[in-house]
Amino acid sequence: MTFATGLGTVLSLELRQRVRGRAWYILLGVFAILVAVVTAALTFALVGLSGDSDPDAGSGVLSTIIYFVLLLGTLVTPALSGNAINGDRADGTLATTQVTQITTGQLVLGKFLASWITALAFLAVSVPFLLFSVALGGVRLDTALVSIVVLGFELGVVAAIGVGLSGMLQRPLFSIVVTYLVVAALSIGTLIAFTLGGLVIQSTVTSTSRDFAYVDEDGTEVCSEPMTYTYSTPRFDYFWGALVANPYVVLADAVPTSFDRNGYPDDLFGYIKLGVRQTQIAPDLSPEFDACSYVPIASPVPKEVIDSTVPSWFVGALIQLVLGAAALALGWRATRTPAGRLAAGSRIA
Amino acid sequence: MSALAPADLPSAFGIEAVGAARSFGSVHAVRSATFTAPYGAVTGLIGPNGSGKTTLMLMLASLLKPDAGAVRIAGHDPVTEPGAVRAAMGWMPDLLGSWANLSVRTTLELTGRLHGLTRPEARTRADELIGIVRLEAFSTQPTRVLSRGQKQRLSLARAIVHDPRVLLLDEPASGLDPEARVELRGIVRRFADEGRCILVSSHVLAELEEMADSAVYLDAGTTVSEERIARARMSLRSWRIRGLDDAALVAALPQLGVDASRVHADHQGTLVGFASDEAAAAFLTHAVGAGFAITAFAPAVGELEQTFLELSRDGERTAAQQLADRAEDPKEDPNKGSTPKPPQDDGGLR
Repeated sequence: MTFATGLGTVLSLELRQRVRGRAWYILLGVFAILVAVVTAALTFALVGLSGDSDPDAGSGVLSTIIYFVLLLGTLVTPALSGNAINGDRADGTLATTQVTQITTGQLVLGKFLASWITALAFLAVSVPFLLFSVALGGVRLDTALVSIVVLGFELGVVAAIGVGLSGMLQRPLFSIVVTYLVVAALSIGTLIAFTLGGLVIQSTVTSTSRDFAYVDEDGTEVCSEPMTYTYSTPRFDYFWGALVANPYVVLADAVPTSFDRNGYPDDLFGYIKLGVRQTQIAPDLSPEFDACSYVPIASPVPKEVIDSTVPSWFVGALIQLVLGAAALALGWRATRTPAGRLAAGSRIA
Repeated sequence: MSALAPADLPSAFGIEAVGAARSFGSVHAVRSATFTAPYGAVTGLIGPNGSGKTTLMLMLASLLKPDAGAVRIAGHDPVTEPGAVRAAMGWMPDLLGSWANLSVRTTLELTGRLHGLTRPEARTRADELIGIVRLEAFSTQPTRVLSRGQKQRLSLARAIVHDPRVLLLDEPASGLDPEARVELRGIVRRFADEGRCILVSSHVLAELEEMADSAVYLDAGTTVSEERIARARMSLRSWRIRGLDDAALVAALPQLGVDASRVHADHQGTLVGFASDEAAAAFLTHAVGAGFAITAFAPAVGELEQTFLELSRDGERTAAQQLADRAEDPKEDPNKGSTPKPPQDDGGLR
């Protein structure tokens, strides 16, 4: 038996035993209905209401569907993967698999692939809606493909973390909860860390401004003396790194953004990318406003912001890759047989 | 299934354990297990609850690493060659788990494939096994609908998917009805006749009595030495005696040479202790010769049970003795009751 044959057997066993069932199909059906509702509502808002149909409506719909699938996928995957190994142990089917020619590597990897494929089923269900959004027009092929690939990657990371934790921890309920906590830490925790960090570290801004005072008898505009005042501003630019591993940020940052005539992004990915990239820019700590020598303050358009800041998605993806791989490796180590040291209170069969 | 020719076998013993020990934290589940189990025979593994039977089984099944000592299955060390051990060994766990959503046939097919059979081989083998354990009527049913006895048969079939030379059966008879037990016994005996090495652990000693050729006794994690077993066997064994006129027979026992201290009564009648089969036979001859109409005369408990009970009693005595000894000498070795056998000859294993 080659490694791949054994892996295939574990995969087929997992997909047939753990996943297939009527409840599972009902869940997929409910998911499809939700995506349909979201698609219909967005289409109505972006195309129907505006009367003159927005040529880029499709990309807005596509990016929203992808985010919706990411949200639901990261909510469902921990429950599917977080008991892959210890759940089998509780059912008494783990040890009987381990006394076959299947290696622990094949077992753990097969369970991971099965969980991942299961999570990808949600993506597959949403494909008709993605095609519909493409049909609306304005969707760039690279945007669509990259967003789908990154979404698949994110679901894989969650599946790996869940399967790994289910090998490390003894109780299925506990490992599922911990998987949810890891997902929450990546999705919301990074955001909290970013916000708190920025609020804690503040800098003093010394603003100088000269205002228009009056017009003298010659009709000349007279300005007041420059006034300075100070206030503090949060330094989010120190903490933008906290957002790097956020799945929603990785997705937004990785997808190529297309801009409209005015340099504004035309989809949700682009706006989130813009928001994250803007936090890289340090605030101006000594701004000067002179109402009299009026120079229009040219605030950069989104395209310029994005072009002038650094992409971070590959760092985030790497962090997530390391997290997932480490979880799988530790899960593998804890599941090896013949088992050496066992955690207190654990059993092998 | 073909019988295994002795030439295929690298050793006369399917299972060898030398001083195997395993503890979980401060709990010494198995302190020192030393025994062998030959091919072509059924070996019983007997011990009270918590004596370490299942832990020992798990070490033999390549799932637990021994802390000390060594175990060999079909000549292979489970720690260094788990693949070879698993190819030669079938394990039926005490915990009856099954893939609840899969049918009986799919379960056996997939187990075969996990053991490395090709798809057609696994299919053929699954059909064969369904016949052997008589689950034909349930072959397409999901395993969650099976009764306990049916699950047990499925578990046995799963253990022998790859036609193993060594079989480890952990409590295979628990929860089976009498008919299913007779059937199990038939299957197990047939495996032994085919030349396999079978180790059966059980609480149902009467069941093992009819199935096992010999037995390994495990007491507080230690296999009981030959001498202790011999000593236990020498002690008085109870025989049940019944006559047409019970009252007269009991009254006459002292005249027939049976000391009153050896006579007991229970709800079923009279029990008399004899030190050996010869003594029992001599008594019977004597009683019949004296004109008593005897209707029943048989050992009250089986030999394994008798030995087991005697060892338990012996163990309690030893434990009490050890406690007393320890009070005097705190450095007393708790294992002093056991005398591990010297390592078995490899027979050119390596």
